[in-house]
Amino acid sequence: MKLASKLRALGAAALIAFGVPALAQDWAPDGPITIEIGFGAGGSTDTMGRVLAEVMKEQTGWNVIVENRPGGGGVAMFTSLSQRPVDNQTIGMGVGIPVLVQLVQRGDELPFDIASFDYLGTIAKAELAVVASADAPFDTLQEMIAYAKEQGNMPLATMAPPQVLMMNATTKASGVDFNLVTADGGAEVIRLILGGQVLAGFASGEHFPYMESGDMKVIASANQSRLSYAPETPTFIESGVDAYVDAVFFLAMKTGSDPAATAAIAAAIDEAVQSPEIAEIVRNAVQGDPINMGPEGAKLMMTDGLENAKRLFAN
Amino acid sequence: MVDFSIILAGFVDVFTPINLAFVVFGVVLGQFVGAVPGIGPVMAMAIAIPFTFGLDPLPAIAFLVGVNKGGLVGGAVPAVLMNTPGTPDAAATAMDGYPLAQQGKPLKATKMALFSSITGDTFSDIVLITVSAPLAILALKMGPVEVVALMVFAFSIISGLMGESLTKGVIAAALGLLFSFVGTDPEHFTPRLIFGYWDLFDGLALPSVAIGMLAISEILRRMSETRRGEGKGLLVADTGKPEDRRVSFAEYWACRFTLLRGATIGTILGALPGIGSTAAAFMSYAMTKAASKEPETFGKGNLHGIAATESANSAVVGANLIPLLTLGIPGSVTAALIISAFMIHGMQPGPLLFENQGRLVYGLFGAMIMANFINLWVGQAGLRLWVKVVSAPEAVIFASALLLCFVGVSMATNGLFGVTVMLIFAVFGLLMHSFGYSLVIFIIAFFLGPQFEKSLAQAIALLNGNLLNIYTSPVAVALLALSVMSVFWFLSKRSNTAADTTNLGVPDGETLDQKHP
Repeated sequence: MKLASKLRALGAAALIAFGVPALAQDWAPDGPITIEIGFGAGGSTDTMGRVLAEVMKEQTGWNVIVENRPGGGGVAMFTSLSQRPVDNQTIGMGVGIPVLVQLVQRGDELPFDIASFDYLGTIAKAELAVVASADAPFDTLQEMIAYAKEQGNMPLATMAPPQVLMMNATTKASGVDFNLVTADGGAEVIRLILGGQVLAGFASGEHFPYMESGDMKVIASANQSRLSYAPETPTFIESGVDAYVDAVFFLAMKTGSDPAATAAIAAAIDEAVQSPEIAEIVRNAVQGDPINMGPEGAKLMMTDGLENAKRLFAN
Repeated sequence: MVDFSIILAGFVDVFTPINLAFVVFGVVLGQFVGAVPGIGPVMAMAIAIPFTFGLDPLPAIAFLVGVNKGGLVGGAVPAVLMNTPGTPDAAATAMDGYPLAQQGKPLKATKMALFSSITGDTFSDIVLITVSAPLAILALKMGPVEVVALMVFAFSIISGLMGESLTKGVIAAALGLLFSFVGTDPEHFTPRLIFGYWDLFDGLALPSVAIGMLAISEILRRMSETRRGEGKGLLVADTGKPEDRRVSFAEYWACRFTLLRGATIGTILGALPGIGSTAAAFMSYAMTKAASKEPETFGKGNLHGIAATESANSAVVGANLIPLLTLGIPGSVTAALIISAFMIHGMQPGPLLFENQGRLVYGLFGAMIMANFINLWVGQAGLRLWVKVVSAPEAVIFASALLLCFVGVSMATNGLFGVTVMLIFAVFGLLMHSFGYSLVIFIIAFFLGPQFEKSLAQAIALLNGNLLNIYTSPVAVALLALSVMSVFWFLSKRSNTAADTTNLGVPDGETLDQKHP
């Protein structure tokens, strides 16, 4: 007892002596750090998360382990994260937009909201585009709309609800109907386009090898800004359809975590994101460069994203 | 076209002692983990991928190829020896493998599974290496409309396997479909039947349901039949005859058409993403049974039954690499894992793969050929070991199998929620079994239901909401016509012959009775 209280006093003295800022460097996890991935094994989130854990482990010497907790595009993972007590070493990794969509659609059923988490940073942004086969009779979104109008209808593949909403906004802006086929992921969109079953579809990087081989072209950027790999292609917004989707891969912990822990982990993530290993895997997974918006930027991304998701659903 | 020197260089790269060692290690690990009840081939891959992070690309890929192929062979072992398949496609192997093992011929049954698996695998590898590019283009032309028709055709053939009671078969299939509806609907992404459990958002996990229904319920049932103090082994004593311990060349050769049919079905279904090895295994089994002169021997230890299923489900795995390598499209869970492993090692599957990384791809092909041979040798030795292992007292075997199923499912589904689901389905499976409903039909419906629903939704969208527009696809119309014909054929056969005696849901009850009347 006596020893314990002495130690506590010593700890307090050290705290006063070295001040709070030093804590971020001094903080070390008590046991392994767990990155819980909101998607199953084998997807791009999983692949990036595993490499991130590997790099963090090397750089910090912490034991970083990865667990998959798929369900509802990350909702199952964030639900369970928000329900457990704060332990300062469980990190959730997910994608913004699927979580935001669920928050808009059935926020009252979910036990968490944006404020339930402390944001640590981001690792990458998936650049979402509408792509078509290279021999499609249109090159831009406006030409595609004109073509669909001429044909009366046009089959187009989507892979998630926000994209359906974007196409609904397009229909609203132009009066042209699209025949939306729901595909199970970007790879299937590519297959439907290559097979000629649909003329265009949404893809986030899966089309890249086909652009390189000259079999596909980009019609429009579905992001807020233009695509990094096709800067001359306009966005939906620039083409007169006021809608966009941004999908950012981010990391967060339960709110109320020790600030020293979040600061240390956020710093470790930032260091890892700058490594060549992460650059390579991000390029392979989303065809872009790693982006870390930092804790503040990640939080802003979520709040802005929620507003945008609400606007999409209002259409 | 890839330069011949690149092909040669790729093969030269891979045939080194280091790569050979990694393939051997991979095959051993794959066969071992694949054969452990409750863990199975997919988990074998998932476990192996992190091991490769520190390796060079070629040894890493060679190792994973070894694990993948070893897992295929291993997956049949618990199905044959203990009647506890961990995956739906292994359930097809259990139908004839387990009765044969119970006749005192466990080595014969597992060896037939090994040879058939490697035959099917080698067949699809040869197709992959030689004609993958044109085949992939052909497969692309099979859009959702054609896939729906193909699945209807597969169902019409599999329906020939319905047990003695058509009503009970239909009920089992309907229940399977009902449970497959749990989770997000594929069209509008609205949660269905989840009752507030977000863990169910992506549906009931296949490992939980398959292992609970097929493995745990079987173990529980057999435990209830075990009498106290009986320290006997799980297997019936070996017959002692050498011809029952091996598969002679004559026996293998007699199955050549069965193997070829299985391998062809597996390769075709494998090249089309999303249908998968379960449909292939059961389709091949049903076609073999229908073509056989003595269909009544199926389900009682017919070597053709093992040959049909194992050649088909192994061929699917090799053929899954066709869309994976040429188009970057994964056709199954294992294929998705392989893609992520390739990406980690800087290999980008897709149209430019052969051009940009031809040397690595041909290294991969070389590793596949190596792995097939090594699989055969390691399998010969490993199977003896497994047969020895299951000759331990039942109490030991059942307890450890249960434990491994718990561990396996909690790993595969990331937590205890999946284990709970598994236990619920184990009890459900036990009930279904005691009332004479086929578990296998339930599992087929559960597994293929969501894929069928998704393709149907896509097809309806493509046909402008009117299924009658299907005449625009001649392939689909032909397949549907074939389905109608096969249903009529099976029905007429059913009314001609007396009720089918091979009751799928009760695979061992009858065979045991024949042995111990």
